Amino acid sequence: MKPAQGPSFRWGYAIFVLLLLSILGFMAVGVISLFAGIDVESLSGNVALIPIEGVITGSEDSEFIFESVTASPDTIELIEKADKNPSIKAIILEINSPGGSAVASEEIANAVKKTNKTTVAWIREIGTSGAYWIASASDHIVANRVSVTGSIGVIASYLEFPGLLERYNITYQRLVAGKYKDIGSPYKEMTQEERELFQQSLDEIRDYFVGEVAKNRNMGKKEVDKMANGLFYLGSQAKELGLVDEIGGKDEVIGYIEKKEGIKAEIVEYKKEKSLFEVLSRIISRQSFFVGKGIGNSLFEKRDASTLSITT
Amino acid sequence: MKRLNLPKEKTFIGPALIWKRIAAFFIDMAVINLVILFPFRSLFRDIMPKDYNFSEAYKILSSSADYTGFLTSVSLVMSILVLLYFWMLERKMGQTIGKMLMRIYVVSSNKDLKAWQLLARNLVFLPVFPFILLWIVDPLFMFFAKTNQRLSEILSRTRVVEVYSLSND
Repeated sequence: MKPAQGPSFRWGYAIFVLLLLSILGFMAVGVISLFAGIDVESLSGNVALIPIEGVITGSEDSEFIFESVTASPDTIELIEKADKNPSIKAIILEINSPGGSAVASEEIANAVKKTNKTTVAWIREIGTSGAYWIASASDHIVANRVSVTGSIGVIASYLEFPGLLERYNITYQRLVAGKYKDIGSPYKEMTQEERELFQQSLDEIRDYFVGEVAKNRNMGKKEVDKMANGLFYLGSQAKELGLVDEIGGKDEVIGYIEKKEGIKAEIVEYKKEKSLFEVLSRIISRQSFFVGKGIGNSLFEKRDASTLSITT
Repeated sequence: MKRLNLPKEKTFIGPALIWKRIAAFFIDMAVINLVILFPFRSLFRDIMPKDYNFSEAYKILSSSADYTGFLTSVSLVMSILVLLYFWMLERKMGQTIGKMLMRIYVVSSNKDLKAWQLLARNLVFLPVFPFILLWIVDPLFMFFAKTNQRLSEILSRTRVVEVYSLSND
């Protein structure tokens, strides 16, 4: 049977359906973009730019949700993704970090070394300590004349409270099974023996750090050892010392890649995008954690600067 | 002699001509692409590889489980919108925009058009197994069936028809 409705009704209805479905389309795109959590890096580029920003950590579970940190699992994932992508010919590590966890730094440095692509570290404001460890693993390091770099060394610090406890007549009851179990406890003074043990561990980490930098930079270990006193160097000084290869910025980084790979570089940023769902679930999980733990306890934890940590 | 008051035009309904069906399909696809799928363009522009041949682009896309999963879900959403376009228009008027312009329409092989019949005849748009198998078989069927029906039209007991007229003048 032929459609009974008149032409004006049919065209009106057709336009209504088109409008309705295009609105649904817009909504679907919005929802997909928010919740998919897909990395929207374009595949049109041939040079991946991976940021190493803020403190380098072993996980992204930092105190502040929007704080800039480099979590080693995420960064390694990005490096591996760029490495697997056949259209990517080189990887730029855009470094702006003071360092952080020694383990996380080494993990990222190892991932950089494993890639088959040309890797260039571009040190911007700061690329010290663990961040320099990562930079040293790349094929070429470019830094600004006044970038801060170097600071090869290891630090472990904590606050000691025994004097404060004594003042308020609070006693630290030491019950340990294992002589050194409370080594680094803020409630007691560190003994000379414990201090020596600690120093020994720090020296070992530093020695490993120096060895890795020397290997990565094709330098003598003794040569790096002389510089590894924890002192930072400006880009120009670092160039003289052989810690960086070139003074410059983005143009120099691109120039190096284009010359080495014989390509016209098209940079594409590889960044771990957090979907709204991830951000919300992280906020909720942290809130639940603190509710469970008790607000007082959680506040105490936040102020607990005494917790011993070893960072590069 | 008494003059008979016969109608000037004699009409009957028959299977729509294949070229009209194909033209209607391309018109519908153009409209869908321009209007309904318009929002998806920017999404694809950002993620699809450019300046690569098909095999290179395929290799790049299949290298990431994230991408393949993402593209599958987006394709599914898009095909649902396409399915809705055909279903909503054919349910209400028996015609899509392309069919309106080509003056052809959908009818049921037995009685009134049911919602399930319209759904069944358009399931071919879903990019999921087993409907994906129909992408080639379904339109090819139209060229060999006497009634110019697609396979999914036979299964859904629907036909696309047009009005033919014979003038008495």
